[in-house]
Amino acid sequence: MSENIDISTEIAATKQTPSTTRRKFLKAFAGAGAAVSLGSKIAWANGEIGFWAMDLTHEKLIWMYETILRMRWFDRTVADKMLTEPGYRGYNHMYPGQEAVSTGVSAALNNSGGVMEADLVYGTHRPTGHAIGKGVDIKKLAAEYDFRATGLNKGYAGEMQISDKSVGYMGADSIIGAGWVMATGSAFAIRARGSKQVVVNYGGDGTYATPHFHSALLNATLIKLPFIYVVENNLYHQYAHYSYSCPMRDIADAAGPYGIPGVVVDGQDVFQVYNVMKEAVDRARAGEGPTLIEAKTYRYYNHWGAPGAKAGELGAFGYDPLAITSFRPEREVRAWMQRDPVDICRNTLIDWGIIDQARAEEIEAAIRQEVAEAFAWADEQPFCKPEDGLKNVFVEGSVPARQFG
Amino acid sequence: MARKSFMYAALEAVQYEMQQDPNMIWIFELTPPVASTPGKPVINLETEFGRLRVYNAGIDEMWMAGCVLGASLAGSKAVTYIPYQGNQMCFEILAEHAGKLRHKTGGDAEMPVVFILEETGQTPGFAGQHSDYEIDSVYARIPGIKMIIPSTPTDAKGMMHAAIRDPNPVVFMWADALRTLIEDVPDEPYEVPLDKAAVRMEGGDITIVGSGGGMPEVMKAAEQLKANGMGVEAIDLRSLKPMDTETLVNSVHKTKRLLTVDQSYYTLCPGAEVIARVAENVEGARFKRIAFPDAPPPASPEMFLWMRPNADNIVAAAEKLVD
Repeated sequence: MSENIDISTEIAATKQTPSTTRRKFLKAFAGAGAAVSLGSKIAWANGEIGFWAMDLTHEKLIWMYETILRMRWFDRTVADKMLTEPGYRGYNHMYPGQEAVSTGVSAALNNSGGVMEADLVYGTHRPTGHAIGKGVDIKKLAAEYDFRATGLNKGYAGEMQISDKSVGYMGADSIIGAGWVMATGSAFAIRARGSKQVVVNYGGDGTYATPHFHSALLNATLIKLPFIYVVENNLYHQYAHYSYSCPMRDIADAAGPYGIPGVVVDGQDVFQVYNVMKEAVDRARAGEGPTLIEAKTYRYYNHWGAPGAKAGELGAFGYDPLAITSFRPEREVRAWMQRDPVDICRNTLIDWGIIDQARAEEIEAAIRQEVAEAFAWADEQPFCKPEDGLKNVFVEGSVPARQFG
Repeated sequence: MARKSFMYAALEAVQYEMQQDPNMIWIFELTPPVASTPGKPVINLETEFGRLRVYNAGIDEMWMAGCVLGASLAGSKAVTYIPYQGNQMCFEILAEHAGKLRHKTGGDAEMPVVFILEETGQTPGFAGQHSDYEIDSVYARIPGIKMIIPSTPTDAKGMMHAAIRDPNPVVFMWADALRTLIEDVPDEPYEVPLDKAAVRMEGGDITIVGSGGGMPEVMKAAEQLKANGMGVEAIDLRSLKPMDTETLVNSVHKTKRLLTVDQSYYTLCPGAEVIARVAENVEGARFKRIAFPDAPPPASPEMFLWMRPNADNIVAAAEKLVD
């Protein structure tokens, strides 16, 4: 199958045949996926990636749809609050557009049992999806984004530093690069103790330029760490197109010299993401070493906050005053929104007969209600006590105040 | 003379130096070298000098710092602007190389290089990595590197000229909170020396010393204390290395009371060095330093704003010391 096949046409074509049996549809669908999945030479050499999502239970498939929606409506709520509530103090690096990536990744992981049992995830400064995929409590997440004392990290973290080790979510990171290296350290510990966990590190396309990226790939390969690199290539790092810092079209090609699988996947399709993750997780658990996955995806909003967005509407089309080097043309944003991860997931589940349109709408209404209740709960939570800022520096006690004479 | 922001004033100096020297280069990431101010032409170094000389790098601050150091060793003036997200990544290049090369080559190495290291704006809510203010004393300790920390647009321009023309490696601390500060700044090129503190207010009762992003609160407190009848001598360090010991000692000889103010952590903050130098030279003075506690900045604005020294803290501490 040609690498240049037009995936959207293929998927659209299969969508037009609702009478197709699930298996037949899946075959066509898997073919479409393979064209993307096998975009790199390494993946070709490793053989075709199976369509593992077809073996998942109804519950798991519906969980994937719910999880995508939970991420979507969580961030849309933050955007709307930023745009309409002058008193709202939270902010976000918006995840909408990328939900299929972290949902598909988390669907292949064990998300409970703490650091000794759960599969561990290191995130980036665009953390909503990574955290919700791992299953953090969204009430506490909403409270943390607004710096409440009962938030996920008691108001110390804010959006860019959230973490919850109980579900194996090791944390967001507002400094780019070091997460890759620390994640290989967690993988090293797992390999040494033989606990069969795997470690996933999310990085954006901009991480390719960091020395950490290459250090992590090298060391994970040399000692066959149970480690999966998920590059969310949304085309822009901060305010520059990724061509400013990566000479290849596919970042997954970086796997080539190491002889490890480097897989390109359609990051808008949760089932495709799950398929490649399943193989990467199996490989890691079997002690066969790391995999580099590049999910081709897109963010509907600008790098930070909601400039250019309107309350109640998905996406930001306006000019971002900070985007001097590269800005996202409106046409590009709208083109990517044609392949929306929510639509792709919902339509696939309907085509498979897992849910019907009415059930899909019920699910979405329930998730919107859940998200609204989470933010309402967060709004009622207490603010932090100023002097608590001196705690949690060390395990014991607090440090002295030094700001007074 | 025209109203110019910190950013515009500093880039005006860079633009002039790049026009004078066709070999000079500028390396950046995230923050394009672009500035505008009402009534003046937009400065855009990237479009004016082209991408051969002005390069938008990937997220690799170690390379950015190493690149300008290497460029300077090869004989070209070089400047890099490293945003606060990466201002510790380049530590090794500065500590192990830029600071030691001239000495270890017996004076042979030439390094006309400026490392602009941005410090966060300490925006409440950004938390830890995005609201710390900790690299001032970290980089000031490195031998062989000058470390300046201007706090006004006028100084930003004059010290930028002087730093680029200086044959030694210079770290230019750029407090992000000052980026939009606006004042009248001369249009023509001028130098502000890299080794002189500025006495911002004269008085005989107490010396208050601050630097960089902390200066606006120091001056706010000084005005308030002055209005209450206290004679305040407010000093802006402007350079952490070399530190202008003479100006500090002369002032405390007169006031006999020294209060230092830092947004940086308490332990080994610049104020600790100020107090040590004055204590070595002035008999019978009283000292106090206030600083950010030895804790990472938390996200919650309630915690963060309470921990960061502000004008009220400075006023209270000054009154206690003078009492």
